[in-house]
Amino acid sequence: MITADDNGTGNGTDNGAGGEEFALLAEIMRRQQTWPVMSARYGVENPLPPWKTSLDGLCDALDRSGGTGAELNFSFKERRDEEDELSATRYASLPFPENQLVALAHSLLARGVIDEAELRRRLDSVRTRLES
Amino acid sequence: MPDHDPDHDHHERTVKPMVDEITDFEVLEIALRELCIEKGLFTAEQHRIMTEYAEQIGPTPAARLVARAWLDPEFRGLALRDPMAASKEVGVDWLDPTGFGTPSDFAAFKILEDTPTVHHVIVCALCSCYPRPILGNSPEWYRTPNYRRRIVRWPRPVLAEFGLELPEDVEVRVQDSNQKHRFMVMPLRPAGTEGWTEEQLAEIITRDSLIGVALPRPGVTTNVTTRTSPARRPVAE
Repeated sequence: MITADDNGTGNGTDNGAGGEEFALLAEIMRRQQTWPVMSARYGVENPLPPWKTSLDGLCDALDRSGGTGAELNFSFKERRDEEDELSATRYASLPFPENQLVALAHSLLARGVIDEAELRRRLDSVRTRLES
Repeated sequence: MPDHDPDHDHHERTVKPMVDEITDFEVLEIALRELCIEKGLFTAEQHRIMTEYAEQIGPTPAARLVARAWLDPEFRGLALRDPMAASKEVGVDWLDPTGFGTPSDFAAFKILEDTPTVHHVIVCALCSCYPRPILGNSPEWYRTPNYRRRIVRWPRPVLAEFGLELPEDVEVRVQDSNQKHRFMVMPLRPAGTEGWTEEQLAEIITRDSLIGVALPRPGVTTNVTTRTSPARRPVAE
């Protein structure tokens, strides 16, 4: 019952968001603070990072917003398809759910929902807050 | 990276270790969420509701659905023919399961009926797709590469690792899920449950038996799962 084309990764069609590159996301990829690395370093057994459920909530809330079509210029299905495609291609070197998160960031940047400089500033301020 | 040796205090530890390092990904999740909220895409409360919902729902509706199907041939037919309609009968609306909506899950849902010669088990080989509206969040092992990769190739040995050893004359079918299609197993009603009520039957229809890594058995109930209760919200009184 396993079928190769059931995995929703599509066939590489470019819907307009996959072609761009974002230096910020490339930097995050290079630093590789992924959960498998972190959990091994700290001897933690949880297979998924603690932010995963919040990411689920974020995606669901965003899909709801996109579903209404009021604020976003792409539907939840388009975003989910894009997430699958980006996770399996550009961000395939990241594990799940890091690839899901970075793919979401990519979509929001590529669609102009969030600006890269704005995101960079916010990352700095969030990190400062968490480390304070 | 902080100068920290996680093994340093191993012998004294009484709680599970945690990652004492703030990662780029943790920061990224928070930053994206805050910016989306500030741009009015959703509210912090809406996000919290979605997260809470995903974490708290248990398998009860799915267990009731299967128990009713065991008792009522007409309902069983509905469950197999129109599982979303059958879900509604046990209080789960796939189009609006939280009252707020989890549209990412509504796509398509199918119930896989076991027979004396066919046993089903579900997986998401790609990531962690799971019938959340009716089964709750997936168990952690379901999301591991260990399960996802191996159940597809070696279903019998992997099922045996869960303690489920099936006779050779029972065919094992592994059903892959994806973001558009979700599945759930309807296991066979076990012997020794003759005359049982729907409530009694629902108690032995565990989450794992609905995934397909276990079979329902009299005496083995869902009561080992974490007890949760709905959050209390302020009332205007």
